[in-house]
Amino acid sequence: MERILLVTRPQYDGGTAYLSHYAKLVLEFAERRGIEKKDFPGKDANKKEVLKYVSKKNPKLIFVNGHGDEGALEGDKDEILFSVEDGLKLLRDKAVYARACHAGILFGPEMVKNNNGCFIGYISPFSFWIDEARSSTPLKDKTAALFLRPSNEIVNSLIAGRTAKEAYEFSKKKMIESMQKIFKMNQQNEPGAMGLLEILWTNYQGQVLYGNEEFVF
Amino acid sequence: MSEEKDKGEYLKELVLARLDVMPSNYKLSVGNQGTFTKMQLMDSVRRESSLGKQIIGMQVNFIKALTSGELTKVIAQ
Repeated sequence: MERILLVTRPQYDGGTAYLSHYAKLVLEFAERRGIEKKDFPGKDANKKEVLKYVSKKNPKLIFVNGHGDEGALEGDKDEILFSVEDGLKLLRDKAVYARACHAGILFGPEMVKNNNGCFIGYISPFSFWIDEARSSTPLKDKTAALFLRPSNEIVNSLIAGRTAKEAYEFSKKKMIESMQKIFKMNQQNEPGAMGLLEILWTNYQGQVLYGNEEFVF
Repeated sequence: MSEEKDKGEYLKELVLARLDVMPSNYKLSVGNQGTFTKMQLMDSVRRESSLGKQIIGMQVNFIKALTSGELTKVIAQ
């Protein structure tokens, strides 16, 4: 297996646009750490291209952004990239972080069966608030950042050499820091703070880790 | 049955009130359902669409975490 980070970044709706911009920060971090990486932005995040690359180059760490369901991870325009029926073999012994919905219910547990891989993802819908006034510059959206920067820390931590369990815990720690910020906003009577907290709590509770917790990238 | 119906209605009103105070320039991206304004979210909750039920479900979990002290314990870490 090669020490390569693969990132899928479809960008075809409001949600995936934000995920794509924030995932780019992870690619930039990997660049600074001298990690070989392969980016699949926009339409490139399709099944044909992604599976061809995974088969040929055998990347050890895969970061999937986008939509999903209980048994599948999706790429551009909801095309299924990997599912419990198709493609799981390619993910043996790898680490996958799926910033997508519900894949932690079925896909994650199936992916790690009988191999040394690990899966971090969600058993609930991965959700986040956006400040529409900042939607053309997602990285300047402080509201969205409360949700998306902590989740970036999963892959950043793996790149930095932490184990899967450490990466999972560190990201949860960052979510707690976001919750503490929001709690202060609430104490200062900022409107909507509890609404932000509710959604962040959903992501926090819904984040799961399966498989080899000692996995190191 | 009537008590359950009242509880359901009360919960709905609570979710609507929580959404109503969100700033009007905020939108919520909900997994693979899409990205919604607060008015769209409130409408989904009123209609109890699949999105609306999801939003209500999140609220129920949040209330449980608040009332059990679990949320406070986590934030206090």
